[in-house]
Amino acid sequence: MNPALEIRDLSFGYRRGGEDLFGGLSHTFAAGAVTALTGASGRGKSTLLYMLGLMLTPTAGAVILDGKDVGAASDADRSRIRARQLGFVFQDAALDPTRTVLDSVLEPSLYAGIPRAVAECHARARLEDLGLSARADHRPGEISGGQAQRVAICRALVNDPVVVLADEPTGNLDRGNAEIVLSALRGATGQGRTVVIATHDPFVIAHTDHEVAL
Amino acid sequence: MTVRQLLREAIATVRTSRVPSALVALLTAVMCASTLATVGRTVSAEREIQARMDAAGSKVVVLRDAQNKALLPPAVVDAIAHLSVTDRAIGLTVPVDVVNGAIGPGSTPAPSWRVIGDISAVATLEHGRWPRPGEALVSEPARSQLGLTDGYGWVTSGTEDVAVVGTFTARAPFDTLACGVVIAATPSDVAASMHVVARTAADAQRVESLSISLINAPFAQDLAIESPVSLAQLQQQVGRDLGSVSRSLVLGVLGGGALLTAIVVLADVLVRRKDLGRRRALGATRATIVALVMVRTAIPALLGAGVGAAVGLYLANALNAQPGATFAASIVVLSTLAAISSSALPAVYAAHRDPVEVLRTP
Repeated sequence: MNPALEIRDLSFGYRRGGEDLFGGLSHTFAAGAVTALTGASGRGKSTLLYMLGLMLTPTAGAVILDGKDVGAASDADRSRIRARQLGFVFQDAALDPTRTVLDSVLEPSLYAGIPRAVAECHARARLEDLGLSARADHRPGEISGGQAQRVAICRALVNDPVVVLADEPTGNLDRGNAEIVLSALRGATGQGRTVVIATHDPFVIAHTDHEVAL
Repeated sequence: MTVRQLLREAIATVRTSRVPSALVALLTAVMCASTLATVGRTVSAEREIQARMDAAGSKVVVLRDAQNKALLPPAVVDAIAHLSVTDRAIGLTVPVDVVNGAIGPGSTPAPSWRVIGDISAVATLEHGRWPRPGEALVSEPARSQLGLTDGYGWVTSGTEDVAVVGTFTARAPFDTLACGVVIAATPSDVAASMHVVARTAADAQRVESLSISLINAPFAQDLAIESPVSLAQLQQQVGRDLGSVSRSLVLGVLGGGALLTAIVVLADVLVRRKDLGRRRALGATRATIVALVMVRTAIPALLGAGVGAAVGLYLANALNAQPGATFAASIVVLSTLAAISSSALPAVYAAHRDPVEVLRTP
């Protein structure tokens, strides 16, 4: 299976002339597998994840997605790639508290220009896959933390992305819910999808296929 | 993101962020209402002053044949009446007293004028028909004075009898005719004075100079001129001054309102930074964020402008001012545009916030 995501000679510093977090890091993220970005606090796990998610621009090196260097693409192009080819799961789910679960799940589809009827159909299918159909019309305040994180996974998968990026997705969950969320992320690797998780939790690392230690 | 989806998202945001939405609507309503009430009053006052100055003759040039040299024949009156800067022009003979021919000498007289040119330029027909050359219309006060019971009959000057075929009211600025009889002139009549109404006060000077050149008097003293030019210049100056006051008021009210709206939108953007950061992370472009913030401001601004227009017109009426539909519509559009444009900077600021900064959990 061809790798969808790769980094070459990657460097990043928050300030000009400041500490280089990665020192020319290169890695190919295996398709159809879950990779953990690990390391002590402050080593740049989340920074690397956001760079893979095209929200930060590397100071040197390349982020290659589907064979194209997209790390230094224009902001508009990166936004379009985020909407269509990447899925995000944030530590605190980051759901809009004023909107229903269904509206939250289909949100990336709107930015990808997918008609609402089609987006709604995809969103309902994702919710059904993760056993959340009954919660479609609930608001985030009416569901549990574990369910909210599964909703975030549905949202990450709604546009059928090639890469799913998760930042400490189980950081706020108990073991039971963490296992359900990790199982959902494992399920996301089907059809050759690449899943990358930034974590320092050994329990999460134990559920991944590869590890990039920073 | 399609326009429909953008509108749907903006409406949803308006409904969930009720306080900022209500503040934007309130500010736009206040902008609209206060502009209509204050500037509307000024515009109305300006219109009243202009009308009064028009009535005072700021647009009327009077030319008199001072030496009775027959300088104002019908052909000259007609030529001046057809100038592009002329609204109306007529010639009048020296007034002559007439009495009701049916009663005869000794009855109460009324003044009569022969009108050279289009008689409808000085009179509005009330009853009867327009007179043919040598026929007359009588005003209501003159009808009563002459004892013409139904407004028809004949009047006599002692040397000439004239049929009265209807009644009229005098048109401004020919109010002096309101107490008498107007007789449609025959081709042989020559005017003693000519009254030319310019299209605007600004045209008065041109009307005057063109009239003088068309009359072509042999000597300057042959023609006596009552010039409105000074009054017209005063009218234009008053108009400019009032216009300047109105523009300053509009700019002040709209500028102040726009600034307050910008502060409200900026505060809203700061409160919702996590929401906007999430949208950016999920694929919203900067243009989408800018459009979302501006459309989300435009919706309550439109509602506020509608309410403000209603309140402003009510207040303007209560202040005895009628700003007019065009002015009211312009203020609604300007207030809405001021509110929308004031959201541009906060929208651009929101679009350039780093999503990572707001999404990272310490």
